[in-house]
Amino acid sequence: MMGLLQWLEGSSFAVWLKESPSIWAYPTLLFLHTVGLSFSVGPSVAIDLRLLGFGRRLPISPLDSFFKIIWIGFWVNAVSGTVLFVTDATSKLANPAFYIKMSLVFIAVGVMVVMRRRVFRDPDLDARPIAVFGKCLAVASIVCWFGAITAGRFMTYFAGG
Amino acid sequence: MSHIWWAWPLCESLHFIGMAMLVGVAGVIDLRLLGMAKGLPLGPLQRLMPWAALGFVINLITGFVFIAGNPRQYVGPPLSLSFAAKMLFILLAGLNVLLFYITGLKRLVDRVEAGHDAPLGAKVSAAVSLFLWVGVMYWGRMLQFFGKSF
Repeated sequence: MMGLLQWLEGSSFAVWLKESPSIWAYPTLLFLHTVGLSFSVGPSVAIDLRLLGFGRRLPISPLDSFFKIIWIGFWVNAVSGTVLFVTDATSKLANPAFYIKMSLVFIAVGVMVVMRRRVFRDPDLDARPIAVFGKCLAVASIVCWFGAITAGRFMTYFAGG
Repeated sequence: MSHIWWAWPLCESLHFIGMAMLVGVAGVIDLRLLGMAKGLPLGPLQRLMPWAALGFVINLITGFVFIAGNPRQYVGPPLSLSFAAKMLFILLAGLNVLLFYITGLKRLVDRVEAGHDAPLGAKVSAAVSLFLWVGVMYWGRMLQFFGKSF
């Protein structure tokens, strides 16, 4: 496993990404990762806030369209994140904040999938108030996304960066 | 602040959280103006706008902390090009919001019911908003690369 990671890090693609002075390499990757973050976490939080009771006159079911945007943002980040990981695989795997971040991202995505199934597929969604379970999902979503962002930032400050 | 090691990364985390709230909530409204999720009436949708404003205020405060912590990195001399571009884009985004109000678009948009199209002017404003905020993120990310300010 470690051998594979070292090979990845040493591959010409990873070295180019890390060392290229080109603005199209590492900086662009970080930019894409930032835009993906905003368009996945942002609309998620908007949906969560509505489930928690903000903007009460707003029907909830049409918000379902925004899950498409959230998924696009997620995949942009899964791909850009994988490439960023490859440039620095061994130290990322030695970084506790990295594991916390990944766990929180997976939980947040799981919460989103359950939210769509249990809350958004309810045909009476806009006919009755959101159940406690739905509100708990909304809180969990906000906590996990904000936690993932925080863990991601803290990665820079732990051993190995 | 440097003796509390986590204070700096915490400020950075808050800056990213504020960014997601601002760009995410404003982006949802912009995308509805452009024709997505037409089942959403625009009056009630705009009630979420204070959350975008909260994101902006969080970023204004944490942004000031960053500049106060190391002013030369941003304002120089020499002035960081990315920083100048980022501030310009934020200013233009603010101007875009101001125009949205003073041209009366806001009042028109408030009355756009579910299933209806927003007026063309509002669509232009939404597209400009999306472009400018993505631009703000671009220049923010380039701070450490352009002008070697870091």
